Formats: sequence, structure tokens, C-alpha cells
Amino acid sequence: MHISEGVLSGPVLISGAAMAIAGTAIGLKKINYDRIVHVAILSSAFFVASLIHVNIGPSSVHLILNGIVGLLLGFAAIPAILTALLLQSVFFQFGGLTALGVNVVVMAFPAVLVHYIFLPLLGKSPRLTFIGGFLAGVVSILLSSLLLGLALWFTDKNFFETSLTIITAHIPVMIIEGIVTGFCVTFLLKVYPEIIPVKKNEN
Amino acid sequence: MKIKKIFILALIFALIPASYALAHKVIIFAWVEDGMIHTESSFGSKSMAKNCTITVFDEKGRVVHKGITDQNGKYSFKIPEKIDSDLILKLDAGTGHQAKWKLSKKELISTPSKKDIQKAMKEKEELEKAPSVFKIAGGILIIFLLALAAKFLKRKRS
Repeated sequence: MHISEGVLSGPVLISGAAMAIAGTAIGLKKINYDRIVHVAILSSAFFVASLIHVNIGPSSVHLILNGIVGLLLGFAAIPAILTALLLQSVFFQFGGLTALGVNVVVMAFPAVLVHYIFLPLLGKSPRLTFIGGFLAGVVSILLSSLLLGLALWFTDKNFFETSLTIITAHIPVMIIEGIVTGFCVTFLLKVYPEIIPVKKNEN
Repeated sequence: MKIKKIFILALIFALIPASYALAHKVIIFAWVEDGMIHTESSFGSKSMAKNCTITVFDEKGRVVHKGITDQNGKYSFKIPEKIDSDLILKLDAGTGHQAKWKLSKKELISTPSKKDIQKAMKEKEELEKAPSVFKIAGGILIIFLLALAAKFLKRKRS
């Protein structure tokens, strides 16, 4: 999912960076600083998740966990994911530093969206909580794949084919992330419900 | 209830293919031997970049050769004729994954010494190494320190 150095053209990199900066600014404003530890925990989970990867076809995919980060953090997911991606790039050489902005847009923006769509499902009933988490995991990867396709469109020229390849390659990840996110939110709601943001008290 | 939980857990593990490894980056490594350029491409130590395009450029950015890696991520070809420039080998592993390797003019014409080979092998091992626990722990520590710093700054401002 991480775009490497030298793949994208200048305008795409600049647009990505601008969007990432704007998103980070909003995210930093919206963070509830009394609950900053939650942001750090989820940022760390995202940082480590990419180390578990799966080979599919010529490419390789790995756990991303942007769904759960977004679901629990909302806009605060943008600075959380930005920090984790920056550290992944520097420490593990995952994705190019110049492509950091685009990578943040690809992974963090869908995360914010799933927060607003699926958070209301959490806590209603154990089944609905699991379904909410599962869908957050699936939809965030699906949207990230589409955004990745869009970013590569400018170089590959063939949006549908590229996006289809990316989505197909990420289907196993979608299922795994859906299940992992579903279980995590169900478990967290039982043992550590404070991490699940309630309405009007967004983290 | 317990059986249901075990079943679901088993399902999760079944969904994770056995070929998972603890690294993820894109690497192309190239060396010259007996008039041939040999390349090895991977996503880290154990996962080879199969069926990926390798494009070779000269200093001026002109394409001088193109090829596809085999099932072991390897691809070899004869040094292109009449080349008087450094060569840049670009690996395109699809969906935004790309890596480069530079072979200098000197490397193309000289036979590598034992010392050169040792140095190159060390470089290759370094590239393919899975991230150390130290780096992972360091990263997590940095995240928490940043969070603390953010909280401190916020408190100071308000």
C-alpha cells in the first residue's frame, strides 16, 4: 500500500502533501489532549501492523489497520497515521519520504470517513459492534485501494485496470482487517470501553 | 460458545497465507559477472519480486534494456553494447512499489575483486534484513514521546 520514491509525478506529490498538511492541522485541532494516550497507542499499532505482510501475485500486501485507527480516533487519525508512516519510512524504508503526503491521504482519509459511518454502530449490541468494526476494516481498505489507484492513475494512465488489480490484491487484507477490527472493537468495548469515543466527545 | 470462538480464531489463521514474512520494502540488487548483469529483486529477505519489470536506463534517461524477473525474483542479461555511462536499473513491482539500483561505468568494465563482492554482499544483507526489535521499540517510544510533547505544548498554550 505504501507508494515508493520516484513513482509519482511532482504535481501529485505536492497535492498529496498539501492535503495531508490540511488534514493534520484539522486532526491536531480535534484531538482531545486528555486522551492523547489513545492516539499514541493506535498510532503505534498502525506503525507495527505493516510488518505483517502477505505475498499475493507479483506484489505484496500487509496489514494496515487504518480502519480501527480511524474508527476510534476520527480526525485525530490523520496525525496518528502521519507519524507512524513517517517512522515506517525512516526506520523500515516502507514508502518514499517524498510520497509521505500521498500515502497519508491514501491511508488516513478513508480512516476518518469510516469513523463517521460506522462509529454509531458500536455499543448498540455485541453483534452490531462486531459488524461495525468488520465493515470499518473492509471499507477503509477498499477506499484506500481506490485512492491508491487514483494516485497511480497519473502515471499508469489506466485507472480501472490499476484499481482493479489493487483491490483484487487487497481482498484478503480486507477480510483479515475486517475480522481483526471487529474482534478488537468488541473486545475493547468489554475491557476498555473508554477508548471507544462517545458522541460529542470525539477523540 | 467456546467452540464457536475457537472456530473463528482458526478461520482467522487459515486466512493468513503461510508465506507471510516480517519485512516489507522493495529491493533490487544488481552485480556484474562475466559480461552479464545479474539482478535479484525482493520485498525483503524471503519474499521475492516475481514477474516484475526491470527497466535499464543510461545516464541520460534513455531505456537501454527491459526484462521481467523470474519466479525467484532473478533476471540476468548481457551488458548492453556500446555503453559508456552508468546504468540505472529500475524495478517496477506494481501498485506503487518501485526500487532502483545504480551500476557505475567502472563496475561494468572491471572484474570485481573478492573485497568488492564481500562489500556488495554485506550491502545486500543489510538491505534485506528484517527490521530489528530495537527499531520497532524505538519507533513506538518516539510516538509516545511526540504525544507527550503535544500534550505539554497544548497545556502551555492554554
